Amino acid sequence: MDEEAITDSGIPLLQGSSYPPHFTASSLSASFKLDEGYSDETRGQLNCDLNAPSHNVMSLPHWLLAQSEADRAVALLVELAYSLLRTVRTSTVAAIVERLAPLLHKDPVIILPPEITFEIFSYLDAKTLIAASAASRAWRNRVLDSRLWRDLYIREGWLADTEAIEKCEQAYSGSASPQSRKSRTRHPDSDVGEPKLKKRVPPTWLGSHNVGPQSSQEAEDGDRMESDCDGDHDMSDALDDHHTSSADCLLSPTITDGQTGHVLSEPAPHPSVAVYSPLKSSLWTRLPNGSVKLNWQHLYKQRRRLEDNWLKARYTNFQLPHPLYPDEAHGECVYAIQFSGKWLVSGSRDQTIRVWDLETKRLRYPPLVGHEKSVLCLQVDPSPSEDIIMSGSSDTSVILWRFSTGQMIHKIPNAHDDSVLNVKYDKRYLVTCSKDMVIKVWNRRELLPTDTEYPSVYKGGNVTYPSYIIDTTYTSPSTLEADIANGHIQKLAPYSLLMTLEGHLAAVNSIQITDHEIVSASGDRLIKIWDIHNGTCKKTLVGHEKGIACVQFDGRRIISGSNDNTVRIYDHASGAEVACLQGHGSLVRAVQAGFGDPPGAGETMRREAEAVDEDFLETHRSGALADLSPGPSRQQTRDRTSARDPKDIRVLGASIPPGGGGGKWGRIVSGSYDEYVLIWRKDHEGKWVISQRLHQAAAVARASRAPVTSRPPRLMQAVQNQMAHVTAHGSLNAGQSAYPPRFPTDSEGNAQASAGQMTHAQGPTSLAAQPGPSSVAPTPAGPTAPHPQAVVNGQAPNRHRVQLPPHHHHLARRTPNQGFQPVQQMVPRVFKLQFDAHKIVCSSQDPRIVAWDFSCDDEEIAEACQFFIGL
Amino acid sequence: MSSNGAATTKITLTSSDGTDLSVDREVAERSVLIKNMLEDLGESGEAIPIPNVNAAVLSKVVEWCEHHRNDPPSNHDDDDSRRKATDIDEWDQKFMQVDQEMLFEIILAANYLDIKALLDVGCKTVANMIKGKSPEEIRKTFNIQNDFTPEEEDQIRRENEWAEE
Repeated sequence: MDEEAITDSGIPLLQGSSYPPHFTASSLSASFKLDEGYSDETRGQLNCDLNAPSHNVMSLPHWLLAQSEADRAVALLVELAYSLLRTVRTSTVAAIVERLAPLLHKDPVIILPPEITFEIFSYLDAKTLIAASAASRAWRNRVLDSRLWRDLYIREGWLADTEAIEKCEQAYSGSASPQSRKSRTRHPDSDVGEPKLKKRVPPTWLGSHNVGPQSSQEAEDGDRMESDCDGDHDMSDALDDHHTSSADCLLSPTITDGQTGHVLSEPAPHPSVAVYSPLKSSLWTRLPNGSVKLNWQHLYKQRRRLEDNWLKARYTNFQLPHPLYPDEAHGECVYAIQFSGKWLVSGSRDQTIRVWDLETKRLRYPPLVGHEKSVLCLQVDPSPSEDIIMSGSSDTSVILWRFSTGQMIHKIPNAHDDSVLNVKYDKRYLVTCSKDMVIKVWNRRELLPTDTEYPSVYKGGNVTYPSYIIDTTYTSPSTLEADIANGHIQKLAPYSLLMTLEGHLAAVNSIQITDHEIVSASGDRLIKIWDIHNGTCKKTLVGHEKGIACVQFDGRRIISGSNDNTVRIYDHASGAEVACLQGHGSLVRAVQAGFGDPPGAGETMRREAEAVDEDFLETHRSGALADLSPGPSRQQTRDRTSARDPKDIRVLGASIPPGGGGGKWGRIVSGSYDEYVLIWRKDHEGKWVISQRLHQAAAVARASRAPVTSRPPRLMQAVQNQMAHVTAHGSLNAGQSAYPPRFPTDSEGNAQASAGQMTHAQGPTSLAAQPGPSSVAPTPAGPTAPHPQAVVNGQAPNRHRVQLPPHHHHLARRTPNQGFQPVQQMVPRVFKLQFDAHKIVCSSQDPRIVAWDFSCDDEEIAEACQFFIGL
Repeated sequence: MSSNGAATTKITLTSSDGTDLSVDREVAERSVLIKNMLEDLGESGEAIPIPNVNAAVLSKVVEWCEHHRNDPPSNHDDDDSRRKATDIDEWDQKFMQVDQEMLFEIILAANYLDIKALLDVGCKTVANMIKGKSPEEIRKTFNIQNDFTPEEEDQIRRENEWAEE
């Protein structure tokens, strides 16, 4: 009988062995339940995860002997079983073990409810979850739970436009519910698994992709939620609760997986489906109640694929204007750009501001004319509550434009004594900085001394206030109220000067504002942090060896790019320099950093920073760094990119770790006069390394021939050369532009004003952009660099150019530039860049604005991009 | 362990299979369910029925509560920041070295009795059993039948290529 039983279970190896009939699997099971010690033994042979140190069964634990008689009986039974097993061959034992496996190895997805497996899966990373989703249908159901992937997405440090997501969910849900209800009543009991989810194109694609008989409105309604009547019921019928249902919805477009266990291929597309959506989308999922939710697993996947494109330099290029409309281009180089949503605003040396539609790559309306010299800087906010563009110019004015109409609504004619190099505003203030070395703060709304935004006067600092600013320090609020009431104190009109911040010894090239502070970067090599309420300078950061061109502040770190060819990262809290990124061959004119901080990053980084300090001190105490005395000399150590090696630690006491911390997807993009845009990423040690080198001119070349055009490439090249030539000489045939810019009478002087922002404290002339031949050797990089003071003299020798081919340009830093040619204006210096989740847009000496789009024409990524927010 | 007088109050728990366990009230109150029941019942001294948990599992759970009787109350605010960590303290690791059936029953009991920290330890234990494994290894670990057709498996593999790094 034993043999029969064994044969039934398909294990042929037990012939001839003795096997007590009563000794069934279930009795073993009972013993396992009570006594983990023995089960460990068995599972050990099965190579299970829960291995305990094997107990020798022969020596029963004493506590077992103290157990009840029933327990002891079980123990004896176990003893007996073990002894019996020891009498047979190992292969036989193995067969028994295999037969017992189902008792020992339980499927948690079957035993545990969804809310608990959700907890379990929430501890796992994406890769493991993806593996788990391939274990079985039931696992797939549970693992592809949208909420699980939303949490994962957030933990990666990625941001999503939740407002846009909710809007879409509501819009899709609204149009879907009537049909889905109908469908359920039609097939109440069917359990045939069919695709529950129809894919639809997002509204943004409708215009270009729908070629159907219906009116566009009908097409849109249909597309919003393409209800699959036949399949919809399956979700509600097959699933026992809300939780699983959301997981179930997440199945791929071609595999569905209800409790029925059917996995079906997608049926041939319904005729109407073909009309609506040639593109499938798994981005949305419908719950049994008909409401539509974002499928976070799909969103996560697309974000990962997008990030992979960044890593592997997979992108497409496009340019503004569209290559078929070259007349729309700026007439000269473009100093400033900012995009927001589908709009991009650019400011050029041709004195105009242009507003571009990123979808069509065309101008939104004719260029904005008002500045009388180069437009050097701008900030735009297209949202209805603001709807403005603020621009600053070489003509020393600041102009406020209505974004939606292009109308000039306010002008501050002589905002500064020299070129306005940067403008930044928030709801309260406009802050401007200039080549005249000062920073000015202006109010945006009417202001009374009783308002919190009114400046608090501080005496004795480097800040001056216009005479109309009242020192409220010694005036009681009631007196102020009275003075306001009787008209002795007038409201300050919007855009009145509130204060002037002095302290920089050269042009202030870049500023950034936050709730309480202004961060400024100057040609004097310094970064200063100012109190936005009273204008006092709170902190000065040193480190750069030449003038600083650009600065960014994210609340934790200050990132700057300089004429010393480096990008540096400072800890805002301590002022410590935590990283220095070397890779550019010339002045770093534009930088943007996204650290991708995951939730709770602040605390993690503080602890990490402390550990790093401790490591350094420990190494120091042990004498390993005898040659590195703390203090200034440490700044000249070889470290240039900040790793954790104690030898590389630049400063102690920072609140963020070396490199600046952040999530694993953190990214810095920098643009330089060396005509390159570099993408930096952290390696596994947290050290910033160059991930990609993007060549500005190459991108322009690709972008300009991207669309189908009748122009042969050779001709395009000729046009490009011509453009470069034209740019180099600061003049342009006005007939090339539909909106001819008014040219400055002194174009060279203008070039000085705009590009000469890098003036050193020591040098009266532009260091960075002065055209003309030069025989000056570049400053050697690295530890042998002479102290900047020694290099700088009246001849302003700090500029160097890279003439070598792209892949050699890092060599150029080491070898003096002997063969310097007076054609450097051909080099399309990068002036400004901005990146978001999927693209980098860059302006340069070339009048065409160029972009790298890492969604790389992938439809699924492009669709998901509407909800991604950059780092 | 505790010298606190109030803590030594004993209560009785009755398992689903009718076994009574005498437990310090303080220990039993690691279970939010029992704590709430005791608050509702007052000092009646009656045995508290735990109908969903058998004696073997209940005694395991009580053993865990005994060990953790002096733990500070869990802080629910930092749930998200510590979520990633799957480290388990050594005693808990040993405690969780049981067969899978027992492990899952402990998890279910912790869920039912509302003992968040024990539930967390249980879930982490299972998560660690899955972590880094291939689909086939996961199937082996939990004796899962692969119910995908080869074509489906192929398709899933293609869909999941993005996760291969």
